[in-house]
Amino acid sequence: MRRSKRFEVLENRPVNLDGFSEEWAEVGLIAMESPYDPLPSIEIRNGVIVEMDGKRREEFDSIDLFIATYGIHIPAAEESMKMKELEIARMLVDVNVPKEELIRIACSITPAKLVRVMSYLNVVEIMMAQMKMRARKTPANQAHVTNLADNPVLMAADTAEAVLRGFVELETTAAVSRYAPFNAMALLVGSAVVNRGVLSQCSLEEATELKLGLRGLTTYAETVSVYGTEAVLTDGDDTPWSKGFLAAAYASRGIKTRFTSGTGSEVLMGNTEKKSMLYLEARCMYLTKACGVQGTQNGSVSCIGVPGAVPGGFRAIAAENLMASMLGMEVASGNDQTFTHSDIRRTSKLFMQLLPGTDFITSGYSATPNLDDIFAGSNTDCDDYDDWYVLQRDIHVDGGIQPVRQEEVIQTRHRAAKAMQGIFENLGLPEISDEEIEAATYAYSSYDMPPRNIVEDIKAAEKFMESGGSGINVVKALYDSGHHEEAENLLGLLKQRVAGDYLQVAAIIDREGRVKSALNDENNYCGPETGYVISEERWQELSSRENVMSPRDF
Amino acid sequence: MAKKLELILIEKGEAKRSGEANEIVVALSPSFGVQQKETIIGMPLGNVLRELAAGIEEEGFLPRFVKYYHSSDLSSFANEAAKISGSGISVGIQSKGTCMIHQRDLEQLDNLEIFPQAPLYDGNVYRQIGKNASKYGKGEIPNPVPTLNDQYALAKYQIKAALLHIKETELVDPHHPPMEMEVVLKEVEEDE
Repeated sequence: MRRSKRFEVLENRPVNLDGFSEEWAEVGLIAMESPYDPLPSIEIRNGVIVEMDGKRREEFDSIDLFIATYGIHIPAAEESMKMKELEIARMLVDVNVPKEELIRIACSITPAKLVRVMSYLNVVEIMMAQMKMRARKTPANQAHVTNLADNPVLMAADTAEAVLRGFVELETTAAVSRYAPFNAMALLVGSAVVNRGVLSQCSLEEATELKLGLRGLTTYAETVSVYGTEAVLTDGDDTPWSKGFLAAAYASRGIKTRFTSGTGSEVLMGNTEKKSMLYLEARCMYLTKACGVQGTQNGSVSCIGVPGAVPGGFRAIAAENLMASMLGMEVASGNDQTFTHSDIRRTSKLFMQLLPGTDFITSGYSATPNLDDIFAGSNTDCDDYDDWYVLQRDIHVDGGIQPVRQEEVIQTRHRAAKAMQGIFENLGLPEISDEEIEAATYAYSSYDMPPRNIVEDIKAAEKFMESGGSGINVVKALYDSGHHEEAENLLGLLKQRVAGDYLQVAAIIDREGRVKSALNDENNYCGPETGYVISEERWQELSSRENVMSPRDF
Repeated sequence: MAKKLELILIEKGEAKRSGEANEIVVALSPSFGVQQKETIIGMPLGNVLRELAAGIEEEGFLPRFVKYYHSSDLSSFANEAAKISGSGISVGIQSKGTCMIHQRDLEQLDNLEIFPQAPLYDGNVYRQIGKNASKYGKGEIPNPVPTLNDQYALAKYQIKAALLHIKETELVDPHHPPMEMEVVLKEVEEDE
């Protein structure tokens, strides 16, 4: 066949480098509305759920049992289950129906019922509902801060810059897990350099992650993964009860926690019980709620290549975020790992959470170049800042991050790197040279950093942990090395754990060091001029640009 | 260009804990060499094992191949393998090429080094993984194999990875014990 020149051009477009797949319901490769998804049902006898979604109590697996016991408000369940799904869907987009009423309904229906409500909504309706249902009034954002070399100096500088740009939660992990204590420390120190500090975490194997939290080397936890089928959940050596126990362990030390789940994870782990991705995610949401956790990170997160490859994937992902909000939980809504070569696709995906606003629009904006993002890259990275700012300015939307001046960034990065040098010296850890500080201050990526002695760093990190190193040691080292303001900020963050205020739903630490959550900053959207409205002051911040023409120039 | 190596696995009985301090257990996933003969980017699994073994041997250790059936979860069978390894160190590998170095006294979901982006690994990377496993076996702390990262690998390969893992998981048998394997590698002529 003679080839069309237009088809030749199209073939080479970035979108055609992405992986796509047909639906395959038998292995769960279907975003929502699988013919194998159960029909909603409930039967309650003597206050006990004896049937749920077509399964008798005797047939329940551990996830069913946990949800039926702790995840559904039984006194209201029969009445809520009688409501038509279409009616609930319409209430979601009706500004006259308050959020609380929908939360009450969602908490007293079954996973299959909630999924069927979603199937009545198109994406614009999902976005309208999301705007109303999110927990915190002020939208915010989370960033990834990692690098290929696990370089702690660069990591602290990158953290500080991210806080300056407005990220209120920062997440790291380790390319080599034995480096983790230094990575956690870098985020802790970097986050305390700007304003009064923000929350930080280090994603790791759960026991290690908990240990870092208990020691005060992280200030929140997120990577507590749950799955919608028993086989996958138990493959990770877990049960619903062990997850609940882990959540309680964090809460006992005043550490903010959210679980993580998302469409596609069960497909990737090879066990879906033939159910759709959204139905399995609904089970995760009720399981999370049942564990008493304040919030979730979902939105397919690191599995997005799977729902992203089948028809209707973005709609299912937006719906899973909405389900979390409907259950009264904080939602950190994905826009996390890279899933496409196409700028059009990645921006369209982002818009479904950026426009309505969620508690955390991205739960992993890469504050570094994607090449340094050890979470396998993010949908947006540091090269996209100016696009993000312009989009906020174009659309008049607050996406949670703001323009900054270059001088400020350089100063802030320098301060963070110096603080790391100070604490490393004070704690007897391997030296950080002035050359490294200089490099971290002006760096683009880890390629700009002089190499460190990785083996010595790993040994020192292990020794630090063995000798009982903690967040308080870091505060003291900051103070003793002359970084008094940073020491004060970090101590303030650790004190928050004693106060416990940031255990409230959707809590963040604001620029003045106060906790802002759904309790004191509740989203009360009920139509135009309600809910979050961008203030004049904030608009100045968001819309400012350096290279704009001014009438004064002419 | 290395010749394509066909992988033949011969079962030698149930694998037990060994006292051989100079061995590294190479733990193979349920479908390794059965339904799947090559990694996600088409590298023959025979060549992968040749490189892992060569790396292990270069540091004076011996590879011992054990096939796992109870789980397709890499952390799970790699950790089990470390527990029966005389040196306490294992290299776990899934059919699609995802790999990790594990140690017997670590938590299952922890590891010494992890190689999660299979589309990026060539023979040289697998050889370095083998070498580092032996170094851990000697009680050394080697420089980790340099981390490779490409955010577009996910965009292109995640759905393929899911389909391959579904095939892998089809062969899971929770009650099947791990089996000792003899590995035979046969050079095959490549079609032009």
